[in-house]
Amino acid sequence: MDDQKSAETQGATADTAGNGTPLVKMVGIEKWFGKVCALRNINFHVGHGEVVGLVGDNGAGKSTLIKVLSGFHLADKGDIYFEGNMIHYSSPKDAKRLGIETVYQEQALAPHVSISRNVFMGREPTKALGFMNRKMMDEESMGAITRLGLRIKDPEAPVEALSGGQRQGVAIARVLYFKAKLVILDEPTIALSVKESQQVLDFTQQLRAQGISVIFITHNIFHVFQVATRFFILSHGEALTDVKKEDTNIDHLIELIVSGRKEKA
Amino acid sequence: MKTIGIERKGKDRMADTASRQNRFTGALVRMRSLNVFIIFIILFVVFSVFSPGHRFISRENMKVFLSAGAEFNIVAIVVGMLMIAGEFDLSVGSILVFSSWNFYVLYNAGVHVLAALILVLCIGGIVGFINGIITVKARIPSFITTLGTMLLWRGVTLLWSGGIQAGMDLEQNPVMYKAFTGVIGDLIPAQFLWFLAIAFAIALVLHFHKFGNWIFTTGDNRMAARAMGINTDRIKIVCFIVVGAAVAFVAMMQMFRASTFSSRAGDGWELSAIAAAVVGGTALTGGVGSMMGVFWGALVISIIENGLIFMRINYWWTFTVFGVIIVSTAIISKYLEKRRIMMGAERT
Repeated sequence: MDDQKSAETQGATADTAGNGTPLVKMVGIEKWFGKVCALRNINFHVGHGEVVGLVGDNGAGKSTLIKVLSGFHLADKGDIYFEGNMIHYSSPKDAKRLGIETVYQEQALAPHVSISRNVFMGREPTKALGFMNRKMMDEESMGAITRLGLRIKDPEAPVEALSGGQRQGVAIARVLYFKAKLVILDEPTIALSVKESQQVLDFTQQLRAQGISVIFITHNIFHVFQVATRFFILSHGEALTDVKKEDTNIDHLIELIVSGRKEKA
Repeated sequence: MKTIGIERKGKDRMADTASRQNRFTGALVRMRSLNVFIIFIILFVVFSVFSPGHRFISRENMKVFLSAGAEFNIVAIVVGMLMIAGEFDLSVGSILVFSSWNFYVLYNAGVHVLAALILVLCIGGIVGFINGIITVKARIPSFITTLGTMLLWRGVTLLWSGGIQAGMDLEQNPVMYKAFTGVIGDLIPAQFLWFLAIAFAIALVLHFHKFGNWIFTTGDNRMAARAMGINTDRIKIVCFIVVGAAVAFVAMMQMFRASTFSSRAGDGWELSAIAAAVVGGTALTGGVGSMMGVFWGALVISIIENGLIFMRINYWWTFTVFGVIIVSTAIISKYLEKRRIMMGAERT
């Protein structure tokens, strides 16, 4: 109960910039897979323009929490609010419609297809009779990529010609172009070099600068510490802490993750 | 290739030479269709020069090459499209003979030729639909599905027809006959124009229509396409239907040309069509290919088939030559692909 209370008070402070309610609020979420409890009484929220680092070891429940939020799983207990309204998902499309977009590592792009075609995959702007407006696709995709601070010259180049960091950039540019309000980055740095990871962190900053909220999922606290404004640490399906960056430091967070025990608030 | 750069004095000469050379090899590497086109031209010249009495280049043979070749080329074009969507169709030869038999039966039963034509097109589409629905709904690799339907439809045709070869009097339909077998300027047969038209239409869809983008992304990364809301099952089924209908069309075109039904029609086309697509730069794994490439790939396969006859060597050599060409283009293709990625990375 302590956790819930603290989450709510923090929510209130984070939202002073917005319209008073957090962008997303998940209250008392519980999820069971057979007899395994994947999430236990989770209270999670994301404010407007926040970057929340969702940190935890493998199997901590990060993915489950995100799948509940993006409509892939239904929670067994608890409510989800988006901009203050309770939502009931019937499919992942509902989440997209609200502006919640998830960027997956492997499932995002078609490697042999050009950058601009990837950005507009499934949502191609058309001229007459369903023929693609390729000029617009090229220009707009480059525009979105540039807004992210990424420099790519040729929108016709295949995605496989890009580095891992650039690929993440293309996938993120897509959600940026389609006006996502909340972007969930699922382990965006997991297969990347140090330099490429830095690039992804820069993209995250750019998203925030555009007023888009971000949930950055990682099991590596070092990757997210730089960009996150708040940290939400999960362990074995339970929230260990939910703390703003100014109220903590990296050593403290590491200690929490390593011990795997709840903070005495 | 090293002398491509124009010699010029001054210190920028080296850089200039390098960039020109880059541009030339770059074009070769990037444009798969250009490579296949060059192979086609080489074969064309070799056959023209070395066939006894230069009979390959004779007007008569050019008409045969362009007309009979076009039938196979159309099949190769649609098979190429299906392969870009990530699926195979080994049953094209059997759909062809099955469609021929359907047309034979309908026509001889007194059904109006146009009605028979439309009916057979529909049957072809349905046969393609069956391939598609089994593949996507039962989640069986299309390689297996169509291996089964290949045997099934040829078996049905052989059982039903008794394995006959029978003449037909299709000349009685002057308009249709002309549309399928006419010759323009005593050189360009109607079949070739059909081939051009179908290739052009499919190229338009594949490279310029949003449906084409769905085909590419479905074949390249099905999970990504699905995540972006593309109905990948539907895309694949539509491609199978197009293959079925196009093959049925070719079956009838062939019967108009030969005025016969043959229960051996389309034998062996399934693998030649895949070979044509692969020679044209289509990946066996889906998501990679271009209509221009498949276009020239189909012409390469049909020119070998036609040309070797005039080289006065045993017909069985065609298989050997096909084998060598397919394997070597696959190797070259892999090498070029690697180069292309490297260049792409440089560009960005």
